[in-house]
Amino acid sequence: MDAALKAVDEVVKSQNKSAVKEAVDAVTQALQVVGKRFQNGEWFLSELVYAGEISKEIMNLLSPLMQSEPSQSQGTILIGTVAGDLHDLGKNIFINYARSAGFKVVDLGVDVPTGKFVSAVREHKPIALGMSCLLTSTEPELGKVIQELKKQGLREGVKIVIGGAALSQRVADDIAADAFAPDAITGLDIIKGWSISK
Amino acid sequence: MNFKERFLTAMNHEEPDQVPVMGLIMDPATVNSILGRKPTDFVGLLHKPLLGYPIKALLNTNWFWNNMYYSNTAGALEGAIKLGFDANWTIYAIMKLDKDSRASSGWSWYDPFGRIWDLAADADGNIAVNYSRALCDTEDKWEQWVQKRAPLFEDMITNIVSFHKKLNSYGDRIYPIGYAAPGIFENSWQPIGFVNFTRLIYQKPAFVKKVIDFHTELYLKSLDAVMKSDVEVVLGGDDLGQKTGPMMRPELIEKFLGESYRRVTQFVHERKRKFVFHCCGNIYALLDKFIEWGFDGIITLEPTAGMELGRVREQVGHKLVLIGNMDVSYLMVKGTQQEVEDAVKKAIRDAARGGGYILSTSHSHPTVDPVRLKWMVDAAHRYGRYPLSL
Repeated sequence: MDAALKAVDEVVKSQNKSAVKEAVDAVTQALQVVGKRFQNGEWFLSELVYAGEISKEIMNLLSPLMQSEPSQSQGTILIGTVAGDLHDLGKNIFINYARSAGFKVVDLGVDVPTGKFVSAVREHKPIALGMSCLLTSTEPELGKVIQELKKQGLREGVKIVIGGAALSQRVADDIAADAFAPDAITGLDIIKGWSISK
Repeated sequence: MNFKERFLTAMNHEEPDQVPVMGLIMDPATVNSILGRKPTDFVGLLHKPLLGYPIKALLNTNWFWNNMYYSNTAGALEGAIKLGFDANWTIYAIMKLDKDSRASSGWSWYDPFGRIWDLAADADGNIAVNYSRALCDTEDKWEQWVQKRAPLFEDMITNIVSFHKKLNSYGDRIYPIGYAAPGIFENSWQPIGFVNFTRLIYQKPAFVKKVIDFHTELYLKSLDAVMKSDVEVVLGGDDLGQKTGPMMRPELIEKFLGESYRRVTQFVHERKRKFVFHCCGNIYALLDKFIEWGFDGIITLEPTAGMELGRVREQVGHKLVLIGNMDVSYLMVKGTQQEVEDAVKKAIRDAARGGGYILSTSHSHPTVDPVRLKWMVDAAHRYGRYPLSL
């Protein structure tokens, strides 16, 4: 991490816009490689997390220089852990990787009540809503959010992906979510697919 | 064969009269449901004017906590007996209650290791406890914490001894499997947080090793305390896996934890006990390590993390006893009787030939349905008779 930050520091000092862009592209590409290796079982969770942390620190250094750049956002993703559930590791990994991939991510945090998910969908009009849920006991919350979105006429406008230790494709089918992601990187791949086809 | 002979025969990779069935019953909601008991709504009481602080003071006394905790565990064993299990796990934990503005109920527990557990209640008033966050996210905070909590660690060890000795009285009705929990890895990372812990692994490995060494010594004391009772099969464990694979590179796990696990199994075996390792997640990549470290068996084998009994048996042969694999995300919550029966038959077919398999749910949580647990036990009795005909 130290070596990467030192190199980025040089870029920041140079104030060179094209060097900044190259650095951002390099981070994005590096995270894609890490993500693929994780999905292939060659790399492990701690490596995925650490790479995400390095990228977060790099982007913190570079982002002030990027503000004058035109927005390159791939779209907005809304994400949160459902009510009654406080787990956020997978969600936070996803956020690091999604931001580096060019998405604007609105993080609703943990223990998010149904109403907050619904009003955030109305406000941000995301291309995708990601709901995280580790506990089997909080799994019914996923369905409640989807039902409420339907009730309020918002379901058609947003794709929904769910992820978390207790979940499976069966749950996604049961509650009529659009997709189930076994890990953060797969979740991001799914949303990238939606983003392209939009 | 009685339940004990059945369990130990399977642990020795021999065929007993029928496949043993082990319960992981512990959640108050499950216990109260099986026994038809009304829960005490501690969370509700904590919110009553004038009662909150006296209730907190009461819950934080060693005497009250131990009695309440023992009562629930005794209930779990009674419940397991009622449903027909041969064995049930028995876990001791100590926690202290405190006000917490970040907790949903306004109260949370902290444990001796430096974790915060959110306190909530279900609709019936049963206590529900969930890991919330880490308290020691820096080296200094960790050092201060373990120094300050030394008396709590001592209380914990003393209480583990008396708790498991007390459970000896159940030995003629069910086989209690003493669980020394949580394990070395979890006690090392959870109070620091996984992201911080990961950074420390790469940036300050000497500190991580210090933390792990500290928890290894403490864990050996916990194991020793469990084994001061009649417990013959000791459960220990760490969730080294997540949904798609190990949480860390196996070589890194070996580097940081291998020696600790070797010491654990040696310590247990010297006392003529068997050691079964509880490990959630997708752990195919670690199975060879488990054999190398000397584990006698493994428990959970989570189907939602892709663990298939047949594949595990093929990989480890009869070098490990396999326990678990019955899904608790769908099957044991809302599966049909036919689905439960089919899953039991498949588990027996895939893993029970030659002994060395103990049927069990992969885990426990408050929404595991006792009716489905009973279906599981009944199916084991129906289809698990040796010689197997499945």
